[in-house]
Amino acid sequence: MRRKKALVAGISAAALALTLAACGGSGGGDDKSDGFTNVEGAGGKNPDAKGPAPEVPGAKTGGDITVLAPDPDDGPTSLDPAGLWSVTDNAIAQDLLFRSLTTWQQDPDTGEYTLVPDLATDLGTPNSDFTEWKFTLKDGIKWENGDPVTAEEVKFGMERSFDADTFATGPGTSYSKPYFLGGDKYNGPYASGAKDFPAIQVDGNTLTLKMAKPFPEMDYYGIFPAMGPVPLDAKAPDYGLKPLSTGPYKIQSYEPNQKLVLVKNDQWDPATDPARHQYADTFTFEFGGDPTVAAKTVESDSGSTTLVTNVEGQDYTAAKQAGNDQNMIVGPQPCTSFVMPNYDKVKELQVRQALAFAYPYEDVWSAAGELPGVTRANGVTDDTLGFGLLPPGMAGRKAWNPEIDGETIQYDPEHAKQLLKEAGYDPGEYEVSFVYDATTPQGKAGAEQRKLGYEKSGFSVKMYPYTAGSLYDVWTDPNNKLYKKINLLGTAWCQDWPSPATFLPPILETGAAYNTGNFSESSVDDQMNEIRTLPVDQQADAWGELEQKVMTDYQPVINVGYYQGIFGVGSGIGGFNNDTTVGGAPDYRTTYVK
Amino acid sequence: MRHVPAAAFGNEGMGMSLPVIDLSSHEDAATSPGSEVERKEIAGRSPTRIAFDRLRKDPVAVICVVVILFFIVVAVFAPLLEKLFGVSTDTVLASTRVDLVTGLPKIGPPNHGFDPDHPFGVAPGDGTDNLAVWIEGCRTSLYLATVATVGSTAIGIVLGLLAGFLGGIVDTIISFFIDLFLTFPFLLAALSVAPILNERYATEPDKLAVVSFYVLVAILVFFGWMTVARLVRGEALALREREFVKAARVIGVPTWQVLFKEILPNLLAPIIVSISLGLPTFVALEAGLSYLGIGVTGRESWGVTINAATKYWETYPQYLLEPVLGIAILVVALNLLGDAVRDAFDPKTRR
Repeated sequence: MRRKKALVAGISAAALALTLAACGGSGGGDDKSDGFTNVEGAGGKNPDAKGPAPEVPGAKTGGDITVLAPDPDDGPTSLDPAGLWSVTDNAIAQDLLFRSLTTWQQDPDTGEYTLVPDLATDLGTPNSDFTEWKFTLKDGIKWENGDPVTAEEVKFGMERSFDADTFATGPGTSYSKPYFLGGDKYNGPYASGAKDFPAIQVDGNTLTLKMAKPFPEMDYYGIFPAMGPVPLDAKAPDYGLKPLSTGPYKIQSYEPNQKLVLVKNDQWDPATDPARHQYADTFTFEFGGDPTVAAKTVESDSGSTTLVTNVEGQDYTAAKQAGNDQNMIVGPQPCTSFVMPNYDKVKELQVRQALAFAYPYEDVWSAAGELPGVTRANGVTDDTLGFGLLPPGMAGRKAWNPEIDGETIQYDPEHAKQLLKEAGYDPGEYEVSFVYDATTPQGKAGAEQRKLGYEKSGFSVKMYPYTAGSLYDVWTDPNNKLYKKINLLGTAWCQDWPSPATFLPPILETGAAYNTGNFSESSVDDQMNEIRTLPVDQQADAWGELEQKVMTDYQPVINVGYYQGIFGVGSGIGGFNNDTTVGGAPDYRTTYVK
Repeated sequence: MRHVPAAAFGNEGMGMSLPVIDLSSHEDAATSPGSEVERKEIAGRSPTRIAFDRLRKDPVAVICVVVILFFIVVAVFAPLLEKLFGVSTDTVLASTRVDLVTGLPKIGPPNHGFDPDHPFGVAPGDGTDNLAVWIEGCRTSLYLATVATVGSTAIGIVLGLLAGFLGGIVDTIISFFIDLFLTFPFLLAALSVAPILNERYATEPDKLAVVSFYVLVAILVFFGWMTVARLVRGEALALREREFVKAARVIGVPTWQVLFKEILPNLLAPIIVSISLGLPTFVALEAGLSYLGIGVTGRESWGVTINAATKYWETYPQYLLEPVLGIAILVVALNLLGDAVRDAFDPKTRR
């Protein structure tokens, strides 16, 4: 569940995925296709992988790499392992700073990502019904200060993820608390009166994790820094400002939301690490800068060892027109943006279907500064993508692109009017209302297009500008005064690892935080619980079928675009990969200076 | 915000112009049968009149007036002009005017020839007509600047007159507030008010549009009256010791009448100068605040267009140049006219 940081996007929010997405790798350095690239299938698992990591062909050591993550991405507010849950931040933390139970290893030849052990000696040993997991830790792992990493410290780190107050933005609220035995009542080691947490037990070098319900994907969850060690004396709020590293790099200086400088960590032993490298001498990250300046830096190649995490559409167009786009690479992000009608207010299926025909997809994208078919896409730009929930490349996914009343989804005001009529509403009778990001001209322009589309389709429209912060502030807060006024909400969601289980429940389950439309059908909830108990190899297809059924029977959300990002890669950078396992960020593990 | 040139002028210039003003304001008192004809010829032209005569002969001033008149006509007759050109600010489906692959217009500049339907082209991304937005932006700029100038000048005159003429405790208090307001950081105030308003009127976007406009005017007035007040106060201090004012008080003319009939007419010149130099400041401020995203909402504004257009400088420079030229020409014309007015009223430059 990484949510995307609210940008101006079509749906009006959503942009930088906050989710540990794990999708098969793809988008290698020479992927220059302009259309919407399909993501490769999910990578497999390799419990026997050993360090050191396979060499990247042609890689050299030395050199300094600068990474620009321009506005609206303002980078990590804190680097506390328990609180990291966003694409940009996790890519940095997982690739360079923090080791955890498991991690992703890239095959240098195919570009595919495979789940491999990291701190653990293997991918964990579950019992038959996945309610107990055993992980044995490797010997010889050290902190940057030379102290050995102990199992107690891993336990402490994992316990911290249960602290939903201190680390509200962390993944623990979605995975630690619901799955671990007693996790719903345990609030981490800092809570007053905190006692030992019996669901995590340490025996020598072995951790035993007890689950409240079957959790077959615990090995995937192990990729999060939250499932790694933290020194026992770490203070809750401040640790994230100067955390100790276990990875190939350590922090030299860190200004939250501004700048992060990493240097080599001499205590990191490549022989224990099957995934990471230590090619460049330093990494310098700069957050929240001017997007156009960032794009220009790589376009002109004035910063030849610079990486840009996100190039905006108009800068990409400018570079392309000037024939200077050789340093720009389009890569997929396993994320989907949704409009979510409030299920309690928009009760009729036909109205929700009409909304799908009333949304002028490409016009909204264009006005919001996106490039249809490049940075945003769905069935409108490519039939095979469809309008479903799961992003392309997800295991078990089948494109959902049905005929509704004899027509596949597209912007068609007349068809929307007809569906509205079937629901019993004349043109102008049904009012829809939504908030939009008014902090940028593009946000407003996108909202104006959306309004026009709805109006032409026979809805009456009220839209509210919002400038105070992220649109999620409104969408996820039922007490917000705007929340009470609107009946169309939204979310942009990215996977945490290549499993529909990280995608469908957060969007469809009753009461889930980012189920902003309050979709609630007990039959769907039951079915989700049922799928979780199925044999692991059947789950993906079962989720895929559930997606089809829910979309056809209820249309709880309207797909307003799958994501694709544009990266800037200086000519002096080698080994660039689009790491879809974290939701589409540069893979800093394989990057080197030519 | 500061109109230094006007203030400097006011203090050094008025002494010399006073005798003439005396004559014009006190014609009855200044009769002397023998030389009446002679004196009439000299006195027949008031300083204001002299200034306008001088302005008329100044080619720069004339050009500026023409330019400013053009902008005023555009602002006042905005709806008519839009009808005349057949353009409007209404949203259209982006795909009807914009090439979705690049986000750039498929009609008119930058990649196609001139399009008579959209003389200024259309915006990239959403395809809104640029001319209509430009005309509306001109209207916003001029309207806001005018209201803010009139407001700040009125407050400045009243408070300055009171402080200068009454003196004593009134002067101390008003001077204190002048100094106090001068120390407030204007930008900070504007930045902090915008979110408060947005929060308050979050659920009523229509009201927000109206309120935010007048609050912006209020902020500009709030932080714009001090220079006028200081200028007027200084002048009033000097004038109140002059014989004609003393005479008026001796014969029992009420204070308000002394203020507005005896002193104010003598302040006309510095006030006109301060207005002519205040207008361009407010035009530029409005654009700047809109660019920062804390300006007017729910209206077109040059500043907003500039904010959107900077990203397209390379692919579509016309889009950025239109509002930039609008502001630049208007502000330069207003400033040059202000300078010309100051020179015209300044007796030091009379030969």
